[in-house]
Amino acid sequence: MNVDNQETSEPVMPEPAGAGTPSDEYEREPVPQKALLGFKSFLGMYAGEHCAGTELMIGPLFVAAGVSAFDLVCGLVLGNLLAVLSWTFLAAPIATRARLTLYYQLEKICGRKLVTLYNLANGVMFCFLAGSMITVSATAVGVWVNFDMPSLNDRYPNSIGWVLAVMGVGGLIAIVAAYGYQSVVKFANIAAPWMVLVFLAFGIVALRQFVTANDSEVDSLGDFWELATTSIWKGGEPLPGQTKFTFWHVTFFAWFCNMAMHVGMSDLTIFRFAKKSWYGIATSSGMYVGHFMAWLAASLMYALQLRLDPGNTDVLPGPMAYKACGVAGLLCVIVAGWTTANPTIYRAGLAFQAIVPKSSRFVVTLVTGGIATVAGMFPGIAMQMLGFVALYGLVLMPMGAVIFVDFWLSRKLGFQDRYAERAGLGFNWAAALTWFLTLGVCVYLVKSKAWDVEIYFVGLPGWFVAVSLYIVLSRMYQRKI
Amino acid sequence: MRRVFQTISWISLAVTVLAPLLFYTDTLALEQSKTILLIATLGWFVHTPLWMGRETP
Repeated sequence: MNVDNQETSEPVMPEPAGAGTPSDEYEREPVPQKALLGFKSFLGMYAGEHCAGTELMIGPLFVAAGVSAFDLVCGLVLGNLLAVLSWTFLAAPIATRARLTLYYQLEKICGRKLVTLYNLANGVMFCFLAGSMITVSATAVGVWVNFDMPSLNDRYPNSIGWVLAVMGVGGLIAIVAAYGYQSVVKFANIAAPWMVLVFLAFGIVALRQFVTANDSEVDSLGDFWELATTSIWKGGEPLPGQTKFTFWHVTFFAWFCNMAMHVGMSDLTIFRFAKKSWYGIATSSGMYVGHFMAWLAASLMYALQLRLDPGNTDVLPGPMAYKACGVAGLLCVIVAGWTTANPTIYRAGLAFQAIVPKSSRFVVTLVTGGIATVAGMFPGIAMQMLGFVALYGLVLMPMGAVIFVDFWLSRKLGFQDRYAERAGLGFNWAAALTWFLTLGVCVYLVKSKAWDVEIYFVGLPGWFVAVSLYIVLSRMYQRKI
Repeated sequence: MRRVFQTISWISLAVTVLAPLLFYTDTLALEQSKTILLIATLGWFVHTPLWMGRETP
């Protein structure tokens, strides 16, 4: 899952894995023709960025959720396709027409004060996400140093050793983020192709060990499917404390785990550099490498662990990777967590700095890293990654709906687009109420016993609620003013 | 030299996939596969920074 390219008050383009890096220029002006990039730039960038530390948690959690082979494979195929289509038909067309960063576009619609509030929400979510990445990297420490590691249902720090490991890893990540953000970005670009292949290696080794453990042979696709349905992803009841995942859970999770970026429009900042809107399909490299191959590979390692020792339900990427690929696997876990936590902390710092503009970038990034490190000590965030990722997308989604209505529907429905800019507003109440009320409705749908909608599904009706609310509220608000 | 570094990098990357595949086909033992994977990793990280992201002379 990519989480490090969210928009902040000082938008920074995520540096792609491939060549042709878009820069952080043109923050308050449309990207000019000469700065546009070709299709390959986006292909490389998405492939690299969606193969991250969080994949090592998400794959195993599917197995813990009792998913079956058909539901997982077909759900991922469909869900990732829907995600690619969302980028292609929702985010990219607006990005290539307006060619503005999300922040600047939101500022024109919502006003600077509301965007600051959006940044705060973004920054807080970033801290928790970076925390979960630190958790992933810290599990690698447990391979070398003997201490109690968190188990699947742990919510709080469970040992002094764990706290110290997270402090060590998180502290280092925070210091590096504050001092040398750009050098880690360069390192991440170099590591990306290698990391993708180590993820593949995890899957190949785990599959071989599964075949050996089952005393079976896999000579054809049919043999593999037989093994997959009867031993690897058997379905049935989830592990205690986990939600049962069906085909629709997998589909909606794969579709909405990056909801903030496509439906939520964060990737306007990226696709403003695209020559054509159809470049949105470049996201398929990230979806089918990171959110298909890497998730399946990580889930294979965990399924093997359960096969060999059904009592060992711990989701610990470090030990699992070490068993499959040795020191190289361990390095992959550390690098995957580190290279994604680093920009996440940096950008969370930028988001917070927008609220206190005179504060030092260095200090803010360091403090943000400290908060993320504390969050990383609580394994509950990483162990409940499926639910947390769904929540993350949901929180930022309504603003994407606001941009959609503003861009495509406002004039046709008789109200002004870019209203804050036109009216000189710092806080567009129609957009703010749309955001808050949509989240209120979504929380109600999830919490209410009458509706009982699971958080994985609520994003879809939530988007329509947000669109409807912004239309109605804008018409009322603009008439009043 | 750039060509040499690039070649070593791409070979390292190929070996990163080849080692687990050879383990899959029972050609290598798991420990051998892990060792080769580590060597390939070192090959990639030592040589790739010498050309990737740098201007072509």
